[in-house]
Amino acid sequence: MRVGLFIPCYVDQMYPQVGIATLHLLEKYGCEVEYPADQTCCGQPMANSGFEHLTQGCNDLFIKNFSEFEYIVCPSGSCTLHIKDHLHGGDGIRKKIYELVEFLTDVLKVESLDASFPHKVGLHQSCHGQRGLKMSQMTELVAPPFSKPEKLLKMVKGIELIELTRKDECCGFGGTFCVAEEAVSVKMGKDRVADHIHHGAEYITGADMSCLMHLEGILRRQKSPIRVKHIAEILDSKG
Amino acid sequence: MSSKDKILTAVKASQPEQRELPPLEPPTEGRPADPAKQFVEVLEAIGGRAYIVSGWERIGMILKEAYTADKRVVSGCAGLGFMMESIDDPHSLENVELAVLEGHFGVAENGACWITEDRMMERALPFIAQNLALVIHKKDIVPTMYEAYQRIADAEYGFGTFIAGPSKTADIEQSLVLGAHGPRSMTVFLIDEGMSDAGFY
Amino acid sequence: MSKQDHAALADAFNKDESRVDWHDQTLWFVREKRDKAVNKVPEWEWLRETASQIKNNVLSNLSEYLTQFEAQAVQNGVVVHWAADANEHNEIVYGLLKKHGVDRMVKSKSMLTEECHLNEFLAEKGVDVVDTDLGERVVQLAGEPPSHIVLPCIHKKKEEIGEIFHEHLGTPAGNADPQFLTHAARLHLREKFLTRKAALTGVNFAVAETGEFVVCTNEGNADMGAHLADIHIACMGIEKLIPERKHLGVFLRLLTRSATGQPVTTYSSHFKKPRPGQEMHIVLVDNGRSTQLGKKDFRNSLKCIRCAACFNTCPVYRRSGGHSYHTAVAGPIGSILSPNLDMKKYADLPFASTLCGSCSNVCPVKIDIHDQLYKWRQVIVQEGYAPVAKKLMMKTMTWVLSHPSVYHTAGKAGRWFMLNTPFTVNNGLNPWWKGREMPEAPRESFGQWYKRNRK
Repeated sequence: MRVGLFIPCYVDQMYPQVGIATLHLLEKYGCEVEYPADQTCCGQPMANSGFEHLTQGCNDLFIKNFSEFEYIVCPSGSCTLHIKDHLHGGDGIRKKIYELVEFLTDVLKVESLDASFPHKVGLHQSCHGQRGLKMSQMTELVAPPFSKPEKLLKMVKGIELIELTRKDECCGFGGTFCVAEEAVSVKMGKDRVADHIHHGAEYITGADMSCLMHLEGILRRQKSPIRVKHIAEILDSKG
Repeated sequence: MSSKDKILTAVKASQPEQRELPPLEPPTEGRPADPAKQFVEVLEAIGGRAYIVSGWERIGMILKEAYTADKRVVSGCAGLGFMMESIDDPHSLENVELAVLEGHFGVAENGACWITEDRMMERALPFIAQNLALVIHKKDIVPTMYEAYQRIADAEYGFGTFIAGPSKTADIEQSLVLGAHGPRSMTVFLIDEGMSDAGFY
Repeated sequence: MSKQDHAALADAFNKDESRVDWHDQTLWFVREKRDKAVNKVPEWEWLRETASQIKNNVLSNLSEYLTQFEAQAVQNGVVVHWAADANEHNEIVYGLLKKHGVDRMVKSKSMLTEECHLNEFLAEKGVDVVDTDLGERVVQLAGEPPSHIVLPCIHKKKEEIGEIFHEHLGTPAGNADPQFLTHAARLHLREKFLTRKAALTGVNFAVAETGEFVVCTNEGNADMGAHLADIHIACMGIEKLIPERKHLGVFLRLLTRSATGQPVTTYSSHFKKPRPGQEMHIVLVDNGRSTQLGKKDFRNSLKCIRCAACFNTCPVYRRSGGHSYHTAVAGPIGSILSPNLDMKKYADLPFASTLCGSCSNVCPVKIDIHDQLYKWRQVIVQEGYAPVAKKLMMKTMTWVLSHPSVYHTAGKAGRWFMLNTPFTVNNGLNPWWKGREMPEAPRESFGQWYKRNRK
C-alpha cells in the first residue's frame, strides 16, 4: 500500500529521529512510503489560537501534497486530529489520515514486533490522541478499558510499563497555551513528570512529541536522568 | 413590550428545530438483586442508620430507649399515637430533638426516602429537628429514581422531598461533617411485617 | 479585558506551589469520588445521553415550556416574574422585599444571584443578606466571591476559615477543626433562619408540566430558609426547565454523582405551592440566555445543570483556582458561558484551557465544552479581541508554513522553528525558558535526512 508520510513541522525540525523511526516501522511492515518534500504544517498552532481563518494556505498545501495517497500516516495524534476535524476542502483526506499507533493496530493489524527496550517506561496519554482519536479508553467514562499504544508497547521485549496515579491527565503543553499560560503549563508538566518519577519510570513515552518536548524541557531543567522517547522510537528499538 | 413578551419572543426566535424526547426506561443489567439490602448499605454509607423491624411496637421501644422523657419528640405517625402533638408555628419546632415521620417509599440506589407535606406536620419539621427518623415499609423500596418517579407519577402535593441521610457539609477542605443546618442523624425504620423477631443492621 | 487576565491571575496563584498542590489534590479527590460513584451505575453513559436528549428537547421548545410552566405555577398559587437582565432581576427581588418591609434576608446557594451581583445591589439598598450555605457564608464573611459553584470556599484552608470565624463569629482563635467550625456556623445560622421573614433560593430544575421546582442541598439550608420565612423567592435562569416531572428521575441520578460523588443530595425538595399564609415567588431570568440560544455553536452550553464536574476534572482550574476566571461561574463551563455575557471582558477565558477534552467527558449532559472553547477562540479573534502581537505572529507563521521554500530556508537558517514558533515568541521574556529547557536543535531536519537517504 502507498502511504504518504506526514511529519509534523516541529518533528521535522527538532526531532528527525522520530520521523526516521516512523519511516522504518512503516517500511518494515511492507508499506510503500513516500515523504512529500513540500509539506510543512497542519495549521493547528494557528487554529487553536483562534486563527483558523488564516490556515487555508496550510490546508491547500496539505491537500496538494497528500491527495494521491491511499493512506496518510503521521506520528502525532494531535496533528492527525486537527486534519480530521478541521481540514477544509479535503474530505477524502480526512478519512484516510491515521496516527501511527492506530495505523499499526487498526490497518496493519500488527500482532508482533521485533523490538526490544529493557527499561521501565511510563506512557503519557496525549489528550488529542486519547480523547480525540480514542486511542485509549478514557478514565472519565464508564466503559471497558483498552489502549492501542499499550497493546503495541507490550509487544516490545524487556519493556516494563509502569502504572500512573493519574492515568490520563493532561501534561499542560496545549500549543500556544504553553507560553500564553506559562505558569499553569509548567505546573501541569511538573506534576505529570512527578507522577512518572514516583512510579520509577526511566523513560516517558507517548504518541505526541509536542507533549514530550514540554515534559523533556521540565526534566532537563530538573537535571533529571529520565528521558523522553516517542513511541515510534521504542517500537523501532533494538535495545 | 413587557419583559415576559420580550423574553418569549427572543427565545422563540432563537430556539433550534424540534428535537424529540428520548425513552426513559433505563437498562437494568448489572443491578443489585436485593433493593432493601442495597438501600441499607447506601444509607449507612451516607451517614444514615437503618433498622429492619417487625412493626410499630418495636420502633416505639427503640425510640424510648434512645430518647429520654425530657427530650422533645414529635411524631406524625398514627402508629406511634402516643407522641402526637399539634403545631401552630414552625419556629416553635426549634427545640425538637427527634421528629418521627412516615415516608412513602425508599430508593435503593441512593438511600433516599420520599415524603410529602401531608406527612410532615409542618414543612419545616424534617429539617429543623435535631434528629430525624423516617418509617417506611421494606416492600416499598424501589431500585432507582426512575421507578421512584413512576411511583410518584402525578401525585398531588404542595411540597415533597427526597431525604437521604443526615444534613451534611464538606465545604471545609472536603472534610465531611454531619449535621450542617438540619438533623445530625437520620434513621430509617424498615417495617417488615413478615418478620417475627426484630433484628437490625 | 479586566485588570488582570486569567494567565496573570493564574501566575499569581502559582507563586505558592505547595498551595497549588493542595488545591489540585483537594479537587482531584472530588473527581475520584465522582469516578467511584459513576462506576457503580452500569447505565451511566446511557443516562448522560438521555439527559442530553431531554435538554436538546427543552432548548427546542423553550418558549412553549416557559409559557406552560408559568401557567401551572400561577395555578399553584405562585407569583411568577420575568426579568430580561440582571438589573431587572435585582429590582424585582428588592421590590418584593420592600413591599413586605423586609430588610434582612437569608439566601441559599444561587449562582444566578452571583451572576446578577444581587448581594452588592441589595447591600446598597440597605438590605442585609446572609448566605446560608456554609461555603458561601465563609466567602461572604471573607468579602470574596465563591471560587467554585458547588464548593464555594474550596480555595480556603481550614486554618483560614478558623481565622474568619474567630473574627466574625467569635470562635476561639486557632481552632480550625471542621467539625467545630461547622457547628459554630450551625448555631450562628440557626438564629438567622429563625428571625428572617424572607428567604431566597436558587432552583436546580423547574418542571413545565406541573409548575413545581426542585432545590437540591446537602445542608438543608434552602429548606430551613424557605419553610420558616413568610416570603420565599426562587430565582432561576430560563434554561432550568425540564418538560415533565418524570424527567427528574434522570437528572437527579446524574447531578450529585457528577458533583460530589454522592448518590444524591441529602435533600431534593419539590416546591409546588406556598404553604398556607406564605407567599412564593419565582423570578425567571434571561440575562443573555436567549442570545446564547440563538448561537448554533454555543447554545448547548445552556444544557448545563451546574454540577461543576468540569471544574474538578480540569487540570487548569485545579492549578489556577476559581478566582483566576474573574467571573461568577468559573472553570471550563464558565469559560464558554461568560464570553456571551461580555466578550471583551472574558476574551481571555476560552484560552485558559489546553483543550484536553476531559470536561466534555465528565459532563452529565454531554456539553461539547472543549469544542466550544475552540470555537469561542475563533469568534474572539474574528471580533478583534486578540492582542496585536499575537495577530502579527500568527500571520508570519501562517505565511512561512504556507510556503515550503520559505519554511525550508528558514529551517536551514538555524532551525527557524525554534526561534519563531509560539513556544518561544515574546523575545526577551521567553516564557518557555522560564520553567523549561529548550529542545536541542539537531544537525539536520527529517526532510534533509530523507533527501540524503531515500531519494
